[in-house]
Amino acid sequence: MTSPGALALATRGLRKSYGSRLALDGLDLSVPSGVVYGFLGPNGAGKTTTMRLLTGLLHPDAGSIELLGRPFTRGDRKRLFDVGALVESPSFYPYLSGRQNLQALAADGAPVPRGRVEELLELVGLRERATDKVSGYSLGMKQRLGIAGALLSDPKLLLLDEPANGLDPAGIVAMRETLRRLAASGKTVFVSSHLLAEVQVLADVVGIIARGRLVREGSLDELLTDQGVVRVRVSSGDLAVARATLEAIAPVEGSAEAPPDGGADRWLMVHAEPSRAAEVNRALAGAGIYASGLESGTDLELLFLELTGGEPSSEGVMQGIGQPAQRDAAQAAASGASGEPGAPGA
Amino acid sequence: MRVFVSGLRKLVGRPASFVSVGLLVGLLGLILIAAATVGQNGSGRNAENAKALLTFPGAYDLILSFMFGLGGLVAVIYGAAIAGSEWSWGTLKNAVARGESRARYMLTTFAAIVVMLAVGLAITFVAGLGLALFSATIAGISTAGVSDADTLQRLPALAARGWFAVVEQASLGFAIATLARSQLAGIGAGIAFYFGETFARIFLPDIIKYMPFAVAQASINTGSGPAAGGGGGGGFIDPLPADTALVLVGVWLVGSLLVTVLFTERAEITG
Repeated sequence: MTSPGALALATRGLRKSYGSRLALDGLDLSVPSGVVYGFLGPNGAGKTTTMRLLTGLLHPDAGSIELLGRPFTRGDRKRLFDVGALVESPSFYPYLSGRQNLQALAADGAPVPRGRVEELLELVGLRERATDKVSGYSLGMKQRLGIAGALLSDPKLLLLDEPANGLDPAGIVAMRETLRRLAASGKTVFVSSHLLAEVQVLADVVGIIARGRLVREGSLDELLTDQGVVRVRVSSGDLAVARATLEAIAPVEGSAEAPPDGGADRWLMVHAEPSRAAEVNRALAGAGIYASGLESGTDLELLFLELTGGEPSSEGVMQGIGQPAQRDAAQAAASGASGEPGAPGA
Repeated sequence: MRVFVSGLRKLVGRPASFVSVGLLVGLLGLILIAAATVGQNGSGRNAENAKALLTFPGAYDLILSFMFGLGGLVAVIYGAAIAGSEWSWGTLKNAVARGESRARYMLTTFAAIVVMLAVGLAITFVAGLGLALFSATIAGISTAGVSDADTLQRLPALAARGWFAVVEQASLGFAIATLARSQLAGIGAGIAFYFGETFARIFLPDIIKYMPFAVAQASINTGSGPAAGGGGGGGFIDPLPADTALVLVGVWLVGSLLVTVLFTERAEITG
């Protein structure tokens, strides 16, 4: 893990309650500098509460926050001068234009260099519509304007809450490239999201939160090491033999999944490295069973569900492909912005 | 300074600013035109009363009463709309997340409102004066009294008192909407407070005369020159002396801003 000195953001024992409901229960985050950090969690896990605490909108009940290596306490608002944030949905004056809204925002907090507003309007592709009132903007345009607002002061640390919300596929790709470029230039990007596929293609480091606690944190490759899956499609009649055969190689998921096309076949899921797909296929063939389908990959969703105690989606669990070499497939899946799973990798 | 200038720019482009001034000028115009029509075509006591309203320097009285009477209610609504929208639209959240001081942000926003109120009242006065002269002319009334030296001498002090009273009323709307953390709830509660105090004058005159709208009204009634001031129900209470009321207007103004700042500083911004 990165040494504490190189952390762009750290929280220790962060607690926050809303009345009797505990939203954060001792959150410990360690976000290294210069990375894209994916902050994942199911709805209600405490992601937005964390974002609000990091931006001074809420005050913690207990615990500490360090921003860019220095403590961030109540009243220490100038720590936020080096931080850009988009918390929840982007908020603007509806009767002002996009440009006027950015100018108004630039007047608050950290000083903004001259010409920065125009530069950002260009960056987020809103220059043509800069004089239009924000009330006429689509959700995606507002989101892009929100990202521009977060970048106004050229922050060292960028906190983005669900930045892909409302963006079209091209907008998502552009946003992703921008964030990767910012990370490459030494800035730290903290992205809160429930879109696993999006985080999988964007983040270097992932933190998973559930019920107000961090349940796993580490580099994406580290986390996915044990999350390899090979799925085989066999006929229902061969199911028992196939299961027994495959159990000899690696653990097999308890329930067999029916295919979406409604056929008599079933999918068996074997927890094995994707590189062992051929071995799985060979074992089945050795037992006289011929698979009518075979897929392999590593899956953040599996890890996510395991850690957060969630249920697999009805579409199945193999939505994203996490191996670096296979990220293009996941990018296509993530471009939908709806969070729908993409096609499993072959 | 840049926060204040930005706040001013935001208000200049805001529909609520135009609507507020337009409402005051429009209603004042309707009253003046109606008085001119009655004065010109009517007969008897009604016509005489209508002509009296349009006769200068007394017409100044009508204009100022209207400005500082209905203007007070409009100011409550305006102040509530501005403060409430900061919460409802989430724009306060943006400023705080950028490291802006909550107290400074709210105070500079209110300072911009104070300037806008001065501009709005000035526009209303000039437009009202023009409409009064026009109405007097069509009613065949002499406008010679418009340059009455005694009245003109007293006008600046009266305008300053009126503006201060309107500012205090705007600060109440501002504070109420901040506490409500909502534009709609703030406006509703502001209006309810205004009329609630007016009706309460009937039952609790000794207490209500110290309340914010009553002192605002009393602070303008200097007894010298045009007796400006508005709001209903004024006849039920024995108003405080104008100078005492003026001090209380200041107390209510400072109190409202203090409540606004303290609440905003401590608030958990979740919207």
